[in-house]
Order: sequence, then structure tokens, then C-alpha cells
Amino acid sequence: MANTGVWDKLQTVDRRILYLLLIVFATVSLFFKVTVPTKPGEPVKDFYRSVMDIPEGKTVILQSDFTQSTRGESSGQMEALLRILMRKNVKFALLSVADPQAPLVALNVIRAINQERKAKGERTYVAWEDFVNLGYFPNAEGTANSMASNLTTAMAGRRENAPGKGPTDVFQSPVLQGIRAVQDVPAYINVTGSKTSNILIERLGKKVPFLAMVTGVMGPETLNYYASGQVKGVVIGLNGVAEIETLMDKGLKAENGHPAVAGFEGQINLGRGTGYYLALHACLTLMILAIVIGNVAMVVTRRKK
Amino acid sequence: MIPFLAQVEAPEYNMWNAKPGTPQLWMAIAIAMVVGFAIMVAMLYAPTRMRKPIASAAIFLAGLFWVLVFLFPQPIDTQVKVEQRPPGFVQGISFWLADAIPVVGTFANILTAFILGLGVFSLVRIHLLRVTKKQRDWPFSVVLLVSIVAMAFFGYADWYSRLGPNAQKIEESWPLTAYGKDLLFDGMLQVMEAAMFSLIAFFILSAAYRAFRIRSVEATILLAAAMIAMLSLMGAVVVGWDGWIEQVTNKDPFLTNFTLSSVSGFIRDNLQTPGIRAIDFGIGLGALAMGLRLWLSLERAGAN
Amino acid sequence: MDGVYYEKGWLGLVYTILVCTFILYNIARAKSNRTLFIRRIPGLNAIDDSIGRATEMGKPVLMVPGIGGLNAISVQALQIFAYVTKTAAKFANPIRLCCLDPAVYTVAQEIIRDVYQAEGVPENYDPDSVRFISDRQFAFAAGVSGIILREKTAAAFLMGEFFAESLILAETLNSIGAIQVASSTEITQTPFFVAACDYVLIGDEFYAASAYLSRQPVLVGSLVGQDWCKLLIAASVLVGMGVNLVDGFKRVPKEEGATELRFQTKDERMITKFLNPEKPEWKPAGTPDATNATGGGE
Repeated sequence: MANTGVWDKLQTVDRRILYLLLIVFATVSLFFKVTVPTKPGEPVKDFYRSVMDIPEGKTVILQSDFTQSTRGESSGQMEALLRILMRKNVKFALLSVADPQAPLVALNVIRAINQERKAKGERTYVAWEDFVNLGYFPNAEGTANSMASNLTTAMAGRRENAPGKGPTDVFQSPVLQGIRAVQDVPAYINVTGSKTSNILIERLGKKVPFLAMVTGVMGPETLNYYASGQVKGVVIGLNGVAEIETLMDKGLKAENGHPAVAGFEGQINLGRGTGYYLALHACLTLMILAIVIGNVAMVVTRRKK
Repeated sequence: MIPFLAQVEAPEYNMWNAKPGTPQLWMAIAIAMVVGFAIMVAMLYAPTRMRKPIASAAIFLAGLFWVLVFLFPQPIDTQVKVEQRPPGFVQGISFWLADAIPVVGTFANILTAFILGLGVFSLVRIHLLRVTKKQRDWPFSVVLLVSIVAMAFFGYADWYSRLGPNAQKIEESWPLTAYGKDLLFDGMLQVMEAAMFSLIAFFILSAAYRAFRIRSVEATILLAAAMIAMLSLMGAVVVGWDGWIEQVTNKDPFLTNFTLSSVSGFIRDNLQTPGIRAIDFGIGLGALAMGLRLWLSLERAGAN
Repeated sequence: MDGVYYEKGWLGLVYTILVCTFILYNIARAKSNRTLFIRRIPGLNAIDDSIGRATEMGKPVLMVPGIGGLNAISVQALQIFAYVTKTAAKFANPIRLCCLDPAVYTVAQEIIRDVYQAEGVPENYDPDSVRFISDRQFAFAAGVSGIILREKTAAAFLMGEFFAESLILAETLNSIGAIQVASSTEITQTPFFVAACDYVLIGDEFYAASAYLSRQPVLVGSLVGQDWCKLLIAASVLVGMGVNLVDGFKRVPKEEGATELRFQTKDERMITKFLNPEKPEWKPAGTPDATNATGGGE
């Protein structure tokens, strides 16, 4: 029998060695501040066009359904979205259905972007005036059905601290003035680490232009709805964050009958997506290497035997 | 049928759109509670043979509501004042359903909230027994019990302290309850959940290393598709590959089909997405069939 | 005032009626004719082997009905677990059924207790074998992983609505060498199960499982009805493709009386207009005609 010792070992590398390598690849790459180039895909371009089309001063519904678990992807998506909305003075009503912690996590991101704007001397977004937090709604399906049927009843009893007044009915805030139904908002945007985007598309997709920012795992399923036109644009995973940040930085040229869309020149556009992109490259490279080595070892061992 | 039904007058008010605090609503709540209690007592004392038809009828009525919501015409504007609502039976049912959705939609939440108590009771019972009997790994059970109590206490205390006009002061003075909640929720729970989620990265690597082997033709095709998908997630590779193809082929319309973004886009749009759609059709039909069997009480529970 | 409604759209209604008819008709057919054929599913054949192995090793069988609420999916998972428990009860093999949702937990308790009673061994039912772990996704994953590692479960059935915890559970089970039979109705998680588990039920095989295991006429008939529905969908797709192909190209006038064949956009095609009649326009608040929009298709 031929000596296949090394190749045998390469076929069955101890998982702990793989884990150690992953830690090294992921952490070391985070220390390098390199802007890796990217080529935005059509779903992200459509997302960017749709968000940039929202008229200034209008209100959108922003459903944030992620917690710290999918922070790596969803937090970058939320930051990019908030940067665009705030620069365009678009108001938003924030709600969550996936997790009781989700509103808190979303408010933390809003706070971080506000601090970034404050440091640059820009106007910060103020609760009640520029956005309202509608809070957490248990039962994603029930909430979406209720919103589709009657937005004011679905949100009844929700209060936000109004300046000088204390907790006040959210429908009295400037954010929700003139909004009675989901059809009244120019876009419904869902940043999610779960399948809540599917639930919303199935129940609200025909009533309001729907935009989704989903995790990499949820991407392929969401693309079904993008292909059918039920979702106007999709940002998928960390890759999507890097792509939308690139679009924010460089703008979008006129193509396929769509007009050119400007970027935000000279502003902070490159965030988590670009920051983590090298780490994504490093980890994927490790995975490809591991698969290739495992296969080569298997083939060599077979031949030798 | 519908024009005929449309001749019938619609009821102006119903229990779903009554304003909070009105006597009609309180009356409706009282009646619902009495009826609910009566059904519960009837179920307790009913002979075993009778229980199934009662349960089946309740299931049918509950299911019928959502079937009607799905199939019945919906009002475009549900917020028309009651006196301005159009007359007619169909319109009446339509508005009745629309008014009921937000209320009925919360039923499941209320039931789950009560049942959560049962779950917590089971958990506490198992771990208290383990501690009192000093079974194996009992100190972990102590940690669990202490965690449940601490989380519930600080979560509730912080929420309670933020009610009313004192909310602003809490941000400035930051009392013990706020510290406790901050430490437990933000400092521990969220971080631990993020850590659990990040384990997936490690498991994906070991599972991919073990599973992606070219043992057959199908496995080789799968591996090739997976490689293209992984490479297409790497912007630097996409930009390099696409740029090289475009440069070498001088943007030939046919040869540019071999750019990485085109190949991965083809796989995604023509193989992956339709495949997912087909499986989703099957899953949807399975769920519908299961739902139909449950709704019509055709399903027998348990092992048969 | 008829115009204040959305018509719900006839296509959805027709398909719903057809699907329900196919399923109910086949259930009736199966009740009168018990020889309807259903194919073998390898993952389900492995159930008995897995339990046998667990019995030989004297280790428990783990069952997880996903992390969804009490719905058709979790009830279906519990139906499969009832069969697994029935087999385990015959061999007096211990089981562990871990739940995230308290409503699923209470129903699971009832079903498992009934199984032991039906098998004539109610004294073997251990109330602690059905457990509520936590209603938080990753606390649940950590709790179940702990049970797997501490009790060294020999066989595991992960069936139902799984999300990110799927791979955590599957790989933890793999690390202790347990046999795993898995199925997720969430298509996004199926690849993880395929990579990490021994047997996987893909898509609606999950719903076919109880029919295959119990051979109840209602379930077998329902399964055959579902297959008829799939044929209906496949036929609709083919008809749609054909109509689009014929309708997609239109001869339009060109200069000097000549015509040219032009590819029509999606919105120009007859089938698009046929299936999507003009929608009633939403009139925002304050619009004089706000409640009088015309009816149309949704």
C-alpha cells in the first residue's frame, strides 16, 4: 500500500485547526484598512435608485428586524440607509416585529449616525420631529395584516415622548401627519436578519413600493420577489453593504433607460461594508482553499491507493 | 349572488370598531368573557364524545375568519366614517372583516403570553428538582434560576422606572436598575447572542470542508456552482475577472457572457432562483393541505 | 357605491378552489381505495435504524420541532415525532423533545403523553422528556447544544421551521457522531442541513413524511392531491410560457407600409393586462373623491 499519510491527514484536518485559521484570517484582515473594489449588481442599483427617488421631507416606514446577532451585515445596511435618508431629510416611522430587542438596536444605530452628523456640524435627527419609534409588535403576520387593513388601528396606542408634552399619540407627530394607510408612504423599507421581508411582501407588496435589506442567507429567496417585481430593490448581506456604499460614494451612471443618480461626494460614505469587505474576502479565500485542499488530497489518496 | 346580497342593509356598528372605553365595548367584553367561561365549563363537563365536535366547531369558525379575510373583497379605504359607509350585505361583511383584523390578530399574542407561563413553570420545575436532588451538573441549574430571576427583576424594574415624566432623569442619574438592565441585556445577553450567531461561520467552514467533495458527477457540478457563487461574492475577484475578460475579448457581445458576474448571474437567475421557487411551491402546497386538514378536523393527532 | 372595494382577483380564487378540491377529492378517493402509491423517502427509512442504534447505545433520541410558533409546520413536525416516539416507546428508549415556543411545548406534551398511553406504557412517560428551553433563538440553540453534548444523544430529528440555529445544532450533533435526520421548511436552511446531516427531507417531503409513516388514508390522499396541484402549477407555468412566447412578439407598422417583428415589454403584453386589470387608485386623505375609487383587480 502506497504511503498516503500527508494526503490522508489533509483529507481529515481537525476542525479545531480550521477554526483557528478562521480566527486568524478574520481578525488579521480587520487590521488592514484597504478599500477593496466592488461591482454593484442590479438589485442594489435598483435599491439605491428607489431610495434616492423618495421626495425630500416625505415619511417612509422603516421596519428594523435585526439584533446584535446579524449585526455584521444588518448594522452596516442600516447605517448606509440612515445616511441616505438623513441627507435627503426623509422622515421615518420605525417599528420592529422580529425581536423585542430590535427597536433598541435600531435606536443605537440612529444615535451613532446622529453623532457622526453632529461631528460634521450637520443637523441631527430628533425623535418626534424627524422620526418616531413605534416600538415592537409581536406576531409578524398579524401585524402585517393589520397594517394592510388599517394603519391607524394597527398603530393605535403607540406613544412617543413629545417635547414638553411627554408621551403623546404618535399620529400627532409631524412624522405621521397625513398618513392614514400604508399606501400614503412612498416606500416601506425592511432591514432584516429574519424572514420578515417575505411576510411583508406577501401582505403589503401590492399596496406600497417595498425595499429590502436582507442577510446573505435570505438573499436567494428574496431575489424571487425582486425578479417578480414585488420588491423594488434588494441589498444582500455584507457584499450588498459594500456595493451600496460604493454607489453612495461614486453615484450611478445613466444606463438601461434609467437616469444617472448622484452620489454624496465628500461625505462619509464608506462604512462597515467597506471596512469588513477585506475580512469577507479573507474568510472566503480560506473556505475555497480548504475545499480545494480537501478535494486534491482525496483524489491523490485514491490514485495512490 | 353578490348583487342579491348587496340589497341587504349593512350593520352600522360592530364590536370591532367600537371606541375604547365606550359602554358598548365593555358590554361586548363582558359578554365575550361570560360566553368564553361557559364554553370552558361546557368542555369540562361535556361527555368525551361531545368534546371533539365542540373543538372542531371552534377550529372551523376561527379558520373561517382568515379564509374570508383572504377571499372576500376588501374595502380600499377602511377608515371611512361609519355613517359614510356604503349600504349592502357584502360591503357590511367586508368592513366588518377589515375592522376585526387588528383585534383578532392579537388573539394569538394573548394566548401565547399565557402559555409562556406554562413554559417557564416547566423550566423552573426541572431545574429546581435538579438543584434540590443535587443531580449531575446542578450548579448550572442554579445559574439558570438566578439568571431568570435577575433578568425578570431588572427588566421590569427598569421599564417601570422609565414610565411617566421621570424618563429623562434616568438618563442623567443612571440608577441601579438601569445599571443592572444595561449589564444584563446589553452587556451579556446581546453579546452572547452575537457570539452564538458567529459560531455559524466556524461551522460553515468545517461543514463545507467535509461535504464539498467530488465523489460523483452531481457533487462535482455542485462544487463548481458553489465555487462560482463564492468567487462572485468577492468584489476584487469580480472586478479583476470581468475587467480581464472585457479587455481580452475587446467587449465582444458573446464572450462577455463569460464574465464572472454574468456566469454567477446566470446561475442565480436561471437555476438557483427558479429551484427555490419550485421548492417553495411544494412547501406552500404542503402547508395549505395541512391547514385544510386541521381546519376541517380531518387530521388525527398523535401516532396512528 | 360598489366601487369602494378591491375585487380580490379571480385567479387566486380559482386556484384556491382547485387546490382545495384536488386535495379533498383525493382524500375521499383514498378513503375508498387504500392502494394509492407514494414513493419511498430515504430519510424516513432511516428513522427506525436511528432509533435502533440509539437503543443499542442506551442513549436518548433528540427531537426539535423548529423554532416557529404553533402553526401547520410545527404540528406536522409533532406528527412525525409522534411516530418516532411510538417506535422509541416500544424499545423503552429515552427521548428528549426540546421546544422554543411555549404553545408548541404544551401541544407536544399532550401528543407525547398520548403516544405512551396508546402504546400501553404510560408509566414510561417522563414529563421532563418534553422540555421548554427558552424562547430566545440562540439561548435555545445553546441549551439544546448543551443537552446534546451532556447526554450524548445517539439519534436526532431536526424538523420544522429552522433558521440560523440549524447549523449550530447539526454540527454539534455531527461532532458527537449522532445520526441526524433533518428537514426545514425554510429553504434557506436546507443547504446547511444537506452539508451537515446524514439524511435530509427537502421541501415538501417534510409534509409527505406523516403520510409515508402512518399510511392514514386522509394523509395519503392529501399527498396525492398535492401532487395533482403541483401538476396544475407546472401546467400553468408551461401555458404562461407559451402565451408569453406567442404574445411576446408583435408585428408593428414600419415606414412605407412595411412591418417589423418587435418584442413587447412585460406591461404591453396581453397576459399581463389580463391577469392584472387596472387597479383602483389610492386617494390620500383630504382628496374629495377619497372613498369613491373605482373597483378593479388586486
